[in-house]
Parts: sequence; structure tokens; C-alpha cells
Amino acid sequence: MSRSMISAPEVRLALAAALLVLLSACGPARVDVEGQFPEPLMEPLPLTMGVWYPEEFANHEFFDKAKTRQESSWIVKTGQAQVQMWDKLWGGMFYEMVHMKGQPGPGQMNQIVDAVIIPHVEELQYAIPAHTNIKVYEIWMRYRFEMISSSGQPIAEWTMTSYGKTPTAFMQTDEGAVNLAAVMALRDAGANFATNFTRVPAVQDWLQEKWQTPQSEEGVP
Amino acid sequence: MTSTPLRALLLGAVITTTSACVTSEVDEMVFNVPTEGIGDSSVVILGRRHASDYETEPDFIECVGDHISSKDRSITVIGELEFINALYPWFEPRTAPLKPEDIDKLMLQEPVAMKMAELKTEYMIWIDGSTERTDSAGSMTCAIGPGGGGCFGFGTWTNEASYEAAIWDFTDRAEVGRVNTSATGQSYMPAVVVPIPIIAPVQGTACDGIANQLLEFLSSEY
Repeated sequence: MSRSMISAPEVRLALAAALLVLLSACGPARVDVEGQFPEPLMEPLPLTMGVWYPEEFANHEFFDKAKTRQESSWIVKTGQAQVQMWDKLWGGMFYEMVHMKGQPGPGQMNQIVDAVIIPHVEELQYAIPAHTNIKVYEIWMRYRFEMISSSGQPIAEWTMTSYGKTPTAFMQTDEGAVNLAAVMALRDAGANFATNFTRVPAVQDWLQEKWQTPQSEEGVP
Repeated sequence: MTSTPLRALLLGAVITTTSACVTSEVDEMVFNVPTEGIGDSSVVILGRRHASDYETEPDFIECVGDHISSKDRSITVIGELEFINALYPWFEPRTAPLKPEDIDKLMLQEPVAMKMAELKTEYMIWIDGSTERTDSAGSMTCAIGPGGGGCFGFGTWTNEASYEAAIWDFTDRAEVGRVNTSATGQSYMPAVVVPIPIIAPVQGTACDGIANQLLEFLSSEY
């Protein structure tokens, strides 16, 4: 009886709404990684460190490389969170952190700094429960860091990995779980960098040279 | 029979059913109990996150902390996230101390030592474990039509919780106790039109069990 009371326009409207819902469910799940990153609790290194974020790093995103961007089931944008995390970390790790005006190189006018760090995300892999049958979301990243002088002369280059995971149990949505895994991977990257920066052999050599040169010039043994 | 006693009887039956589904066990190994509680010092409860296939749930850690501070208001429990953020990057899964002796190395860093002194951390409790669904059975069918919808069927599943807490004395840099708890419970979901979940509070029971044992250790009132 109630069915006879539904008019044709109402049926069309309901069908259109249902179609819209179905279509919106077809696109990739999008996550703009957001998180709070703490300052590192450490004695800052007495260096004025320049930072240059390449465009592909500052706008970094990842999706299923086996498919096109639109066909991928996930698009996760990490660029903004990357910049936020590294700014916070390097701001606390060094006496001073300076954002460079331009990409360091010969003839490029830039601020005076001891060295410039340029981060790159070389590789990123992710796993969701649908891939692995384990109720854990995982993100693994490999970074490459270049450390160069403000005139573009190479000082050191090294790679570093980071890993973040989160179980499904306490998260409400898949997007939330992927976001948290990405935040954990970023925190891990910061922890790895903060604890191992001075152990990178080329950095160690440069620091030794840098800190010993003024002393020997002043006649300090 | 009037409807009010019938409702009360049904409610009683539901409560009895839901609370009767969990069995738990607690083991304790204590080496050095404080004689008069922890005084005005604080305690921090942290989850271990080193295993590849599970993670100690942050809400379980919060539950244990809340239980302890609600039973003895003199005990200051520092929140897990607050602590690991304040000491970043030294308590991340990659860098967290794995044994009490590792704290010595950490305290060589002046900012870390100062922060620890500021937080007055006397005991650090590491909890490792998780709650897993180990078994499930049954089936349920739901349908929706112009005249309404409904479900029919029966589902059941078993959850198992297993946690271990290691208590580190921060001043003496030594492990002073260890508490294990395990709990198992079966949940049911019968559905005749409306599904009625009868959930076994497995994680909650494990939380209460481990928190009560920790209270005996930390509190002068227990």
C-alpha cells in the first residue's frame, strides 16, 4: 500500500542518490597524513643547518605502483606531514635550522649555513590486512639524504629506513589506520635520524674536520 | 505474570549471561616490593611494540593506568603518549630500552636525565601482549525491503587476552617484579530480527586483573 504512494520523481531521486553513493565508493581511498610530531629531547648540535625540500618530497604521495594513480585503491599524501616532522626534528637537533631560498648549487644566492640537508623518499611500501591477512597496517620507507655545502659541493650521502605499523583493532576506519601507520613511520624516521646522524661515517669525518679546524688554528691541541 | 517482573527477569538473565563468559588467570613474580607505596613519585605504563604480528593496544595501557589511579588517587600515572612525546625520540619502538641497564646509557644525556627528574618517575612498567580473536563460528543473514529489515542467525567467537607486565625500578635500574595475566571469553550474537550482541569483556577482565596486581605492588593501601 505504501509503495503506491511513492511518486516517480521520488523514485528517480532515490536512484540517483544511490548511484552517487555507489560511484563515490569506486574511487581510491584518499588519506592526507596528519599528525602531531614532538620536538626531540636532545642537546642540539652546534651547527647552522640549511634544509632544502625538493618539490617531489614536499608533495610526496604514494599509491599502488602496479596501477595508475586513478585505478589505485589508495592514494596517501605524506608530503605535508614529512615537512612538518623534519622541520620539528631538525629545529631541535641543530642550534639553528634555515630553510634555503633556492636549491643549493654554484651561483645560487643562499643564506650562510654550515651545510644543507636534502631529503628524498626513495621507496615506499605499504601493506594492509587485505594484502597480508594479518590485522596490521604497515608502511616502510627508504630515505636518501644528501648533505652538501651551500655552494652544492657534496659532503655526505646516505640512506635510511623507517617503519610504522598499527593494528586494526583500535581504529575505526581503514583511512585512520593508514594515517596512524604513516605517522608511526615518520616518527620512526625521526628517531632513526636523530640517533644515527653523527654515526654516518662521512658525516662523522666532516664533523671532526669542522670542529677541529678552528681549534687547531687557535693553537688548541 | 505482569510485564515488570518479566522485564527484570530478562534483564537479570542478560546481565548474568554477559558477565559469566570470561575466565582469567593472573601470575605474579615479585623480587622487591616497596614497603610504603611509591609516595609522591610517579609511575609510567608503556606498551611494548616490537613484535611484527601484534601490538600492545594503547587503549589497554590507558585502561590499566586509569584503573590504578582510580583505585589509589595518591598514585600519579603518567599517560603513555605524554611520556613518549616528552622523551622523543628515546622511547620509540626502535630506541626504547629493552632492559633496565639500558636506562644508564639513556641518562647520560643531560636533557633526558633532567626530564626524568622533572617527571619524578620511580617505576616504569612495560606491558607486552594483545587480545586476539582465536575462533569464530555461525552465520547470520540480514535483509532489507520496503516493509523493513531484519537479521536471522547465530554467531559466536572466542577472544583470548595475554599480557605480561615487567616492573622496572627507575632509581635502582633493576627489574623488581613481573605480572602475567591471561583471559578467555566466548561472545555470542543471536539474531531474530534484531541482533543481540552478548560480548565477553575479555580485554577489560585482563586489564582489571593486571591492574589489581600492580596496585598491590605500587600502593600502600593494598
